[in-house]
Parts: sequence; structure tokens; C-alpha cells
Amino acid sequence: MSSLAAIERQRQAFVRDWPQTSGNLLVGLTLALVTLPQAVAFSVTLAGVPPHFGIYAAIWGVLFCAMLNPSRVFHGGPNTAMSATIGVTLLPVAPPFGAEYMGYALTLCLLCGLIQMMFYVIRPLGRMLDLVSEPVINGMICGIGLFLIFKSLTTFGGLPVNTEVEWPLWIAWQSLLAVLEIGNLHAIQIGLVTLVTCFAVQQVPRMRNWAILVGIAAGTLYSQYIEANLGTQVSLIEKIGNLSSIGFVLPSIPLFSQEAMPDIIAILPGAVTLALLGLFQTVAAMRRMNRKAGGYTDSRKAIFSDATSNCLLPFLSSMPTCASFNRMWLVHRLGGHSRLAIVSSAIWLLVLVLFLAQVIAVIPMPAMAAVIMLLGANMINWEDIKPHFKDRREAIVFTVSFLSVLFLDLFGAVIVGSVLAVAYAKWEQAHPNISLAGNVLKIRGNLYYGSLPVIEAMYHRAIANEGSVVIDFSECFYIDQEGIRWLRAAKEAQRAALADRRRNDERRGFERRAAVDGTRRSGRRRGKKDRRIRSEF
Amino acid sequence: MSTMSWRILKVVALVLVLGGFYGLAVYKHAEREAIRQAPVVLTEACAEKLSRYGLAAGPVYRSPYMLQRTGLAPAMAGYSEEDVRAIQRGCNIIDDTQGRLASDKASERWNAPRFIRGTHASCNQCHQGVGDKQDADGNRLKGSLSLGASWVMADMYDRFTGLLLPFELRQMQCYINSSNGYKPNIADDLIRDVTAYTRFLSAALGLQIGTSYEEQGVDEIPASFTGKQGDDYIRGEALYKEKCQHCHGPQGHGVEVAGRLIGPAVAGPNAWNMQSRNYFYYVATILPGFICRNMPLGAENTLSNQDCRDIAYFISNLPRPAGDKQGPLVALQQQALMRIMPPLLRWSEAVMERTAQPAPQAPVAAR
Repeated sequence: MSSLAAIERQRQAFVRDWPQTSGNLLVGLTLALVTLPQAVAFSVTLAGVPPHFGIYAAIWGVLFCAMLNPSRVFHGGPNTAMSATIGVTLLPVAPPFGAEYMGYALTLCLLCGLIQMMFYVIRPLGRMLDLVSEPVINGMICGIGLFLIFKSLTTFGGLPVNTEVEWPLWIAWQSLLAVLEIGNLHAIQIGLVTLVTCFAVQQVPRMRNWAILVGIAAGTLYSQYIEANLGTQVSLIEKIGNLSSIGFVLPSIPLFSQEAMPDIIAILPGAVTLALLGLFQTVAAMRRMNRKAGGYTDSRKAIFSDATSNCLLPFLSSMPTCASFNRMWLVHRLGGHSRLAIVSSAIWLLVLVLFLAQVIAVIPMPAMAAVIMLLGANMINWEDIKPHFKDRREAIVFTVSFLSVLFLDLFGAVIVGSVLAVAYAKWEQAHPNISLAGNVLKIRGNLYYGSLPVIEAMYHRAIANEGSVVIDFSECFYIDQEGIRWLRAAKEAQRAALADRRRNDERRGFERRAAVDGTRRSGRRRGKKDRRIRSEF
Repeated sequence: MSTMSWRILKVVALVLVLGGFYGLAVYKHAEREAIRQAPVVLTEACAEKLSRYGLAAGPVYRSPYMLQRTGLAPAMAGYSEEDVRAIQRGCNIIDDTQGRLASDKASERWNAPRFIRGTHASCNQCHQGVGDKQDADGNRLKGSLSLGASWVMADMYDRFTGLLLPFELRQMQCYINSSNGYKPNIADDLIRDVTAYTRFLSAALGLQIGTSYEEQGVDEIPASFTGKQGDDYIRGEALYKEKCQHCHGPQGHGVEVAGRLIGPAVAGPNAWNMQSRNYFYYVATILPGFICRNMPLGAENTLSNQDCRDIAYFISNLPRPAGDKQGPLVALQQQALMRIMPPLLRWSEAVMERTAQPAPQAPVAAR
């Protein structure tokens, strides 16, 4: 009886939650449909491996990440930059689509997973990833959004994709001219129908989550109409094609034979790049989207989930996985803040590939390109960018990382943006607020090797004018060993007195650190209060 | 209501913008179609070549060249008016890629200069004789990069990457490496017309599909074809000054007089890049082979294998653009070198000339 009641309670809860559940399932379906063409395109055109690599990444990669990563917005799966890195790394080693090449691709993925595991095991390494600041991430997101639009242009115009490593902006311009001059007009029509339908449906609040599905359906119907009237020979529209040969799971083993060792050593730098590229995107995207959704997940958990997934995926014929900015953006925009949406997207995709391959086969690529372009446009959100333009430094960091995506690549953008952000922070700290009132030299900020020269200049000027000086460091947050040595030397020269006007309980940790020089103390052994103060900058 | 009308306005605006985009595409397509239908003004070399090979529209094509060489001219599938125009445009593109002889570059050369960085590179510089170099008796020449012979090996496995390269992709490699430019889209008329012309050449020359002819590609010269003295930069420089400088300029930047190109750049901003297989440090056998069989113009096959390797080695040490895969830093370094080195060299040479001792001629004369 009690078990029946429990079942009844479950049923009621299910009925109560059904609107929300069905909403998440719909988000999952949309996500699956958006991931599918990306998976096919990334694996075939960028990585040089057969399409099932991308599709398995979109199924198993997404599933593993969703199970291991507690974040409600995280969506893994195949990724543009990682796929391109695989292609660039392996092209000199073996001919694409060959058995050897696929073996190396799996090895590369496994190496990437192992390197990422190192980032999990060695804490400071993982902490380094946090140095990517918000303006850098937003710059990257806008850059990627624009990049997705550019990248989809040729497919939108029914033209073959240019895959060479060239200047992306120039490629974009050339692609636009090519679409205008030699693009397939039928393909352009299908793309436009999809775009307009998606956008129009998006404007109806109640239909918002259906927009992409309706758009794809409209594009597909229009392409079927054209083909029925003109025939495939004339319309020449590329479609996703039949994926029915792809099964439930396809086990594989990375290539680690003795003959392959020299090549595996040769691709190690590529594996490091791949690992970093994945982790940077994962940590950055997760932090950004978690904040947008009002949640928090420890980035170490994301590193662990990525690393574990990438260690398992090469045994399932899959490409490596990492967070996808554009799909996470989609989840956010559709309001699917639940891991159910993410998990269901993987299961939907599996079902689609297993049972509906014939239906998927007729979806035209231009419609898919139109959807990806819309996603890219949605990623450039003025509301998110606006705050960065209120501060000059943030504006510069944002602009530089945005431009770096377009002029260099994703990895270059991360490096350039982060170095700039860190440099700005250091520059700030190197210029403490110093004031001289009478013979009292008051320092607000940090006393460390970078700021010492600035303080010394003022100190010597005060000595020259007044003969002696009182150094007031009550408002110093942090003094490094060099600063302590300098203070002691100043005191021993008998020209300076040191003043600290904080209450005893406030300065206990501070004094202890200042008193003991020459020995390094780890953060864990310091007083709690002290850590709180330090963490403020 | 106001939000509703605002949304409708947004949709209408999008439709207008995209409609404008589509209208522009239709206009551009019509423009291209008009060019495809327009009669072609041939360059001098192309007019001569195509009339010698008897290109004309008709149901059957018989090659006058084969008739002359073998006494037999089997009937081959003929060409339509449209085919003939495509072949003619392709020939023009090979002969005058930069459109220096065209009245309207954009329409007559399918915007070929758009895909080339620099103003010198033209297909005809490597694929001489408009892609079909012959001696006075009509013999095709070994290692002359014949396009007709290239077509019959149309889809080749690339020796270095192992990739199967369709003929169109091989053309793209020319654009990105040899002319240090960008890839045209594979569906572009630019690629299609050149393909049409090369196919016609192979038909006119009676070449068999799948056969490797000695006029195809470069007659490569590895170090083992020399006395194995090693590649000598100093000797290469001396030889360059003696044999090449006249046309290619003192630092290989090419010679242009009153807008007319005397000799194309072999180094500097207008030359092929470091990713090209002409670059000695990438592939050390191709540039020497090209030089030996095709240079200097009119005196081909006069340089020894060692000479060719030395000259190629010297040329490849002059600064030139970096390839796209070499990244922004190498590109920047090469750009800086290309711009700083020439004035520095000119200056140092001028100083050396000024300070050089006059040759001791008087005592010799007295003796």
C-alpha cells in the first residue's frame, strides 16, 4: 500500500513538473539538431576524420560531461578550434581519413585527456586557467560569434568550404564575394527562408524555443519543393546525407605501436595545445555561463570531467570534447537550465541517428548554415559587452581579445588577452597610492618588488627634504620579502620610523609575516583573517 | 502593442536586408553570366597558340599539331561555343594572370589579381609558352611544367602529404604558395576556365590520360646530380649577378619599366613564399631543376647542375614572404627583412664601390 502511495506521489510530481520537463526535452532536441551538422562539419572539414567521430563526440562526449560536471549549463561535444587543431597537427603525419590517421587522432585525444588530467592533479596548474578574465572571455565569445557567421558563409551559399589555414577575415571577405558571384542561388534561397523563419518565430514569446526547429523544417520543406520542381541535377543542394551506418557504439583503440612512437612524439606539442585549448574554453565558458545563469561550479570539477571524458572517448571512436560557447549560449537563451536538457540532447541525437537517419538525411546544409549564423549573431550581445566599455582598461582587453580571435586564433586570443589583463593588474599594483604629509609617508596598496621603485623615489625625496621620515603602512595589503628587506634596511639606516595604526587583532597576521623574513610560509599556515585580506586583490 | 509592432518592424527590417543581399547576389550572378556569354579578346600569345591548335566550335575536334607530328589526327569530341570561350579565357588567364594586357581586369580575368599578393606573379612565368613550351621544331621540352601533361595526371597523390589532390586543388596550391596569395573557391570560373584550357591542351597535343610525360613538372636536380661540392652561396651570388640580375634585379625584386614587367620577382614582397616548393629550404631539388631547364630565357640548358643549385640556394636566402602556416611572427620577421635589407644592401654596396681601390691597370699596360 505504501509503495503504491509512493508511486502515486511520484506520478503526481511527474505530472506537476511535466511542463518544465517537456521544456527541457525540447531544448535537448533543438540542441541535438544544432549539434548534428556541427559534428559532421567539424570532423570532416576541420579534423579530417569520418563524420562518426564528431557524432560520437556529440553523443558520448556530451553524456560523459553531463554526468561528471555538476554545472547546469555545461554542454560538451565537438568544438571548432579543437577539431581544427587535430587537422593541423596530424596533416604532416598521415593522410586524412586513413586508418593510420584515425589511429593518431585517437592517440592525440588520449594524450590530450592525460595532459588535462595533469591540470587536475597539480592544483596550481589548474589555478592558472582562472587568469582568463571576463573581458577576455566576452571578447572571445564575440569573436567566435563573428567567426561562426564567416565560417558558415560558403555552406550558406552552397559552395565548397575553403579549409586552408589563411587569414580568417580575408577568407570571410572572399567567401562573401564568392557567395554573391558564384553561389548556388537555390541554396541561398533555402538559407534565407530558414533565417527569416527562425527570426520571425523567435519574436513570438510563446514559440521562442521552437524557433530553430521551425526554421529548419521550413528550410527543409522549401528545399524539397525546389527539388520536386527542378530535380536534384539542377538544384544541386547539399544535404546532411545518410548517417544510418552509424550504430550505437563503435569501440576503438588509440594507436600506440612501436613504429608509431616517433610520430606520437612529434604530435605531443599538438596534444598540449589541444589540452590547453579545451581547458581554457571549458573553464571560461563555464564560468561565464554559470554567472549568467546565477550558479557556481568549481572549475576543478570541469577540468576533471573534461579530462576523464577525453581519456575515455578515444576508446569510443570519438573526437575530444570541451565546452561549446555557442551551444551553451543556446541552452541559456532557450532557458534550459537543467542537466536534463543536456543529457536529453545526447540521447535525442542517438535516437535521431539510430532511427531517423533517413529523415535527417534530407535536411539541407544551407539551412544548417543559416541556423549556425543565427547562433553566431546571438552570441554578440550588446548587453554583455556594454559594461566593458565603461572602463578604459577593460575596453582595451576586450577589444584586443576580440580582434585576436579574428586575426590570430582562439589560442592566441586567450594568451594575448590574459597577458594583457595580468599586465594591467600588475601595473595597477605597481603604482600604490602614496602620499607625503609632513614627514609621514603613507602607502596604500602593495609593497613588493614592482612597487618599490615608486615608493623609494618618494622616500628619498622626503629624506632629502625632511631629514627623516615615518613610513605608515597601515593600509598595505601585502608586503613581499624584498619589501621587508627594504623596510628593515630603511629602519637600520636610522632615517625612518615604521608606523602601523591598525588594531592589534587586525594586524596580527600581518606583523607575524613581517617579523619572520627569509622563511616562506605557505598560505595554509597563515591566519584566516590574513587570507581574507589578501584575497581582496 | 508597441512591442509587437517593434517585433514586426525587426522582422521586416531583416527581410529587407536579406532581400537586398539576395538582389545583389542575383545582380552579380547576371553580371557573371553576361561575361561568360561575351566574346573573348585574346592576348597575342593565346591567339597564336589557339589558332595553331585549331580551336573552333564544332561537333568534332581534330588536332592540327598531331596531324603535323604523326600524320594522323583522330576525331575527338568537339567543343561548343561556350567551351571555346571558356578555353580562350583560360588561356588568357595563364598568359596574363594579372590582367596587364586586359582593358577590364575584373571581367576578363575573373578577378585573378584578387587571389594574388603582389603584382608580379603570373602562371606563364613558371608554365612558360602559355603552359605549353616548345622549341622551334615543335618539340615539347623536358621539365617545362607543361599544363597539358599536367592535366593527364589530373588527380595526383601529393608526394609530401600523401593527399589525393584533384586538379583544382593543385591550382589552388599555385595561388597560395607560388603567388603567395589566397585560394579561389573551387567552384570559381577562374579555376574552371584554366582547367578547360589545360584539358584542351592535352587534347591538342594528343596526350594520354594517366601517362607521365617528361615535360610534366620539373626535372628535379638533387645534390647527387652534381659533383657533390655542396651548395655554394658565394658562387650562387656571383652567378646570379652574371646571369640573372639583368632581368630579375640586383636583389631579386624583379624589374619593372614603365609599368611593363621585364622580369618577375624571385625574392621580396612579390615573389613566391616560404611554403612554396620553389623554396630551397622546403624542397631543395625543384628550383634548381626549373632554373636548369627554363632559365635564362633563350639560353635554356646552358647552366650546369651545380650552377643551378648554387643560384637556387642564393635566391632562397634572400628574404621573401612567409607562408600562411608559418604564423604571424615569421611573417612579421620576413616583412621586416624584405623592407630593411634592400636599402641596407644598396647602401653598403655603394660604400664599397666608393671605397674600392682603382684596378692596377697602369703597371700591367707598362709591362
